[in-house]
Amino acid sequence: MNPKLYTLLWAIATVAFIILSSLAVASVAKLVARWRGKNRLYQSRTFAGYFFASPWIVGYIIFVIGPTLASLYWSFTRFKLPAPPVWVGLQNYIQLLTTDDQFRVSILNSLYVTLFGLPLQLATALVLALLLYRRLPGEQVFRMIYYLPVMLAANSAMLITWRLVLNPNNGILNTLIRMIEGVFPFLVPVRQGVVWFTEITNAAFLGLQRGDFNLLHQTLARGLPGPEVMPLWHQSQLWSKPAIILIGVWSCGTMMMIYLAALSSVPPHLYEAALVDGANGWQRFWRITFPMISPATFYNLVVGIIATLQIFEQSYVLTDNGGPAQSTYFVAYYLWRSTFRFNKIGYGAAMSWILLVLILILTLIQFRLANKWVYYEYEEA
Amino acid sequence: MRKTGRRESFLPRKVRQAFSNGIVYLLLLAGSGFMLFPLFWMLSTSLKTMEEANSPRITWWPAEPQLDAYRQVLTDSRWLLYFSNSAFVTTLAVLGTLVSVAAVAYAFSRIQWPGRNIVFFLMLSTLMLPYQTTLVPQYVMFNKIGWVGTYNPIIIPGFFAGGALYIFLLRQFMLGLPKELDEAALIDGANHFQIWWHIILPLCKPALATIAVFLFVGNWNALQAPLIYLQRANMYTLPVVIANLINPQVRVQPWPLIMAASALTMIPLVIVFFFTQRYILESVALTGTKG
Repeated sequence: MNPKLYTLLWAIATVAFIILSSLAVASVAKLVARWRGKNRLYQSRTFAGYFFASPWIVGYIIFVIGPTLASLYWSFTRFKLPAPPVWVGLQNYIQLLTTDDQFRVSILNSLYVTLFGLPLQLATALVLALLLYRRLPGEQVFRMIYYLPVMLAANSAMLITWRLVLNPNNGILNTLIRMIEGVFPFLVPVRQGVVWFTEITNAAFLGLQRGDFNLLHQTLARGLPGPEVMPLWHQSQLWSKPAIILIGVWSCGTMMMIYLAALSSVPPHLYEAALVDGANGWQRFWRITFPMISPATFYNLVVGIIATLQIFEQSYVLTDNGGPAQSTYFVAYYLWRSTFRFNKIGYGAAMSWILLVLILILTLIQFRLANKWVYYEYEEA
Repeated sequence: MRKTGRRESFLPRKVRQAFSNGIVYLLLLAGSGFMLFPLFWMLSTSLKTMEEANSPRITWWPAEPQLDAYRQVLTDSRWLLYFSNSAFVTTLAVLGTLVSVAAVAYAFSRIQWPGRNIVFFLMLSTLMLPYQTTLVPQYVMFNKIGWVGTYNPIIIPGFFAGGALYIFLLRQFMLGLPKELDEAALIDGANHFQIWWHIILPLCKPALATIAVFLFVGNWNALQAPLIYLQRANMYTLPVVIANLINPQVRVQPWPLIMAASALTMIPLVIVFFFTQRYILESVALTGTKG
């Protein structure tokens, strides 16, 4: 049968199933309300409420609760489809946390992007928001241009374009860098410094990950790179993570919009008071703007960390299956790889639980730390 | 310290203002350049010849723009099939998700029912759940019922109001509509289904449009689930095909063709964004302030 027709028929059947199950759930809810001796109006509200909410309730049971419980069980088994799962106790978790080098590499790579990429992303988003906040004519157009990458960034078409853009030999980015340096020659040593810093930190990071510091020694021995050394981006293990960070910075439009909304909600009388007191722009920013928009920073940080932990498309498309030398293995990518490429269902399930716990811990830490630096106005009132 | 903020300059205030605005414009333009140059490069490469695209010398804009690559994609029945696959998956998923999300948001905003707060809390807690937690067991489930290798696993789950964030957004919007609307209609003898369909949904058009766009983008760009569930090449969606276009075995890649296909994949996104950007940008700001 034509696969589209097949799915279309299933879609119609699903709609019928949802309506029927919603009627069933709503009827049961109404019966319970009647048993509890509630009046007619209460009963009819109960029926309507459960009827409209049921698509989500039923879906939650089928697609979230059921699978989550199953996955918890399978995480304690060795499970290769189509064979049934075999109970192995904590073995998957022990292997993941102690002997699986690739998992450790993935976790540390995710951490790298969170530590170095997220602050860069936040800073770029804030700078763009501050520029737009001037409300100069044409601001609407700029806002649109800055948000556009968010829509495109996750598509493989865009990532494959980045592969071409970042090509170290005839890619446009390195050419652009050279062109700009042609106009402002003082930027050449700046770039040399950036190249040196990036390669050293990445070599050190790779060394820490693998317990093998040869690459770091080589990079250190080479010293400050000459002016002809350009970033190698996705083709070198020293540059692949910075390349992914660059794409993250490119698509920081959501964070920018959230900053922009926060900036507009800062009461203007604070700035006026500061001006009267003679504060300069720098002081006004750090003493007023930055604390006042700290809830936006917090929100961006929480959402951003969860998003970085789930990077997948970049490893698959941009760096060709997590390469070079596993330098772009991230948690979500490695999970996908071992579960679906190597059919290790139980192992993947255990990994997804570690990922969940990791996200919960990181979010909890952030909420704890938030008391120290996030300022909510209503606390004052 | 006291004087730094308002140092008197020899330039008149207006000139200084114009000067600082000029700098801001320059920075804004530089930022736009950074945002747009990959797209420019995509377009420019798609119009080049193979020699121009692969030569070590940079060709900013081809001397004679070629439309061959586009012609090649648009006349190839396989590419047309991939486009129709993507369009099919996206349309059906967006429709099913949108309608069910609208129903659930109505229950959370316009009806008082026992257990509403508990269910709402459960729904919000799924926002914390990483996609991967359910990905693995769902695969096993779909494998059991024989859905692996069909479009069902990437479309049907959405029909159950998939996407807690969208329910939340729409609920916020519906909460803002006056209560008298439903009360008057209820007194006139309308039932909840009629109120939902004829009164509330028409008033939610901007919010519904925004959510439809987010759903469209998410489904159009989706790579991971199609990679897992679609197993025959004639069912592939565009991202799956494009992700595998580069052949590491050959030295010279058909970049003009790859970029033409990529550009054609991006065009629906750009068009949709262009026409709905005002609503979208507004609601993005909303998620941050209310979430």
